Amino acid sequence: MLLMDQKMNFGPSKRAVQLSLVLGATVAALASHPGWAAEPRTGMPRVVVTTTIVADLVRQVAGDEVETDCLMGPGVDPHSFKATPRDADRLARADLVVASGLQLEGKLAALLERLGRRKRVVSVAESIPKDRLIEVGDGLYDPHVWFDPTLWAMCVEAVVEPLGQIVPAGRPRFEAAAAQYRGRLKLLDDALRERVAAIPERRRVLVTSHDAFRYFGRAYAIDVVGIQGMSTESEAGLNDINRLVDLVVSRGVPAVFVETSVADRNVTALREGALAKGHGVRLGGRLYSDALGGPQSGAETLEEALRANVDVVVGGLAGVAVRESDGGTGSGR
Amino acid sequence: MTSAVGYLSCLAAIDLSGLLAYNTLIVAAGTAAVGCAAGVVGSLSVLRKRALVGDAAAHVTLVGVATAFALTGRRDLPTLLAGGFAAALAGLLVLVVMRRYTRTRDDAATAIVLSVGFGGGIALVAGMTARGIPGSAGLENFLLGHTAALTARDAGVLAGVSLATVVVVMLFLKEATLVAFDRSFAAAAGWPVAVVDYLLVVLVAVMVVVGLPAAGAVLVTALVVIPPVAARQWTDRLGTMLVLAGVIGLVSAVTGVAISAVVPRLATGPVIVLVAAAIFAISVLFTRWRSPREAA
Ligand SMILES: [Zn+2]
Repeated sequence: MLLMDQKMNFGPSKRAVQLSLVLGATVAALASHPGWAAEPRTGMPRVVVTTTIVADLVRQVAGDEVETDCLMGPGVDPHSFKATPRDADRLARADLVVASGLQLEGKLAALLERLGRRKRVVSVAESIPKDRLIEVGDGLYDPHVWFDPTLWAMCVEAVVEPLGQIVPAGRPRFEAAAAQYRGRLKLLDDALRERVAAIPERRRVLVTSHDAFRYFGRAYAIDVVGIQGMSTESEAGLNDINRLVDLVVSRGVPAVFVETSVADRNVTALREGALAKGHGVRLGGRLYSDALGGPQSGAETLEEALRANVDVVVGGLAGVAVRESDGGTGSGR
Repeated sequence: MTSAVGYLSCLAAIDLSGLLAYNTLIVAAGTAAVGCAAGVVGSLSVLRKRALVGDAAAHVTLVGVATAFALTGRRDLPTLLAGGFAAALAGLLVLVVMRRYTRTRDDAATAIVLSVGFGGGIALVAGMTARGIPGSAGLENFLLGHTAALTARDAGVLAGVSLATVVVVMLFLKEATLVAFDRSFAAAAGWPVAVVDYLLVVLVAVMVVVGLPAAGAVLVTALVVIPPVAARQWTDRLGTMLVLAGVIGLVSAVTGVAISAVVPRLATGPVIVLVAAAIFAISVLFTRWRSPREAA
């Protein structure tokens, strides 16, 4: 027979996969010469953190008394982040490693666990009592806890003691800074709640391209709907998109929101579907999700990013023009 | 077991209204066009025993996608597709040249092109991500496809390219048939065998790259292979096989889209390929049951 004598041989051979992995690692190692993140050693204790949000937490507590080295820059998706050989080297040279935890850094989990046998690795979000977390599966919890400032305040404590270990002289200052920061987070919580009250209740629906905002929605009574699943890895189904179109149209939701670190194809499809039903949906601007803004973004700290997010949400859903700057990257003040 | 029960109870709550929703129709149109054209083009490459050429092309696109992003800083579909197409074409030309002028075997050459292109792409993306270049993270997801999120413009592009591809195949059908079935005769008779070969390679590259956003790398490869192989079960005639493969590709796409529109939480692309695989299985079973001696 013409066709069947040839074995159906799907996909690359095992050898090919191995070859590509070796090649990939080699080229990656060659390609990543020291960039912006590898500062010269200053003699200060070196804290390697995973995300910009965790970096902010460490800086709020320790200020400039430690050197904070962040693995994932602004605009990097922690769910799909893989460590390069140079990242592994940075982790190996750290005096302390601080991660967000609860599987946020999914592809780093094994590396962090191995590292944990040799040095202190703190996963801040895992210090929150389980009953305050949102369970998303068998023993799996939503890792995006920083969107509820009262939860993030609980994470502050987790870094004070480890930081005091590597800078013993700084311990009293760290404790004072932590107490002050927790107070500011509480005030921020009140301020955000007040702002959200401007949105009519029916329209309190936050549609984004991935489910990062469950804690935010729970804290401020906003229905949060993500098109994709928990991580950015899963593909949306047609049924999910169709139902979302129905929801947006039936509740008169005026805007949907795209995150800084996730592709926006699903949102475009949703808007097109709603428009076909005669309901125009604006793009409500970008929300900070798993990464803070870069320098000069006006959202370099979590406090600024949360304020900026709420401004974007209120501006989009309440129809109040909050500020002129576009794209959600402007200053929230 | 409990999840199966949960799933069945989920099915009881099925809502058929999604079948005619706007997004369903758009996705159905786009994937039907791709399924049909992939079946037609795939028939020729399967007959030339180059079923995996599409797979190589699909994976090589990553290096082009990454390069296009690195050069332009843009992440929109046309930019990435242009980069992907250039890379796929280059990869396939390397493949053809390697086969013609070196003593590398077909499957080895395919594996080399696939792994170098894919590995290079992964390395580029990792390098950019490591330097914190905004928007570079997850570029490799381009190979996964976003079937359910096709827009009217995407569907239009897919339909246009698919139609053009089918037209080209029809124009060169006679030449392609001869080259596919009897290469030495075609060469002796003075046919431009090499030109037809290159054309076929270009068509596969176009089909795969255009199909990427609709189905993803693995799935578009499957659409280039499965419908032709299923069609081959029913007929020995190339013309019939082309039409049948096109129809099977189209039916798989529309059926898959309908299923994922009705059942919650089913990614659309994989469902399409599962439908195609089911049609292949039925084709094998039915044709063997019909004439067991011929099949043995
Ligand atoms: Zn996230």
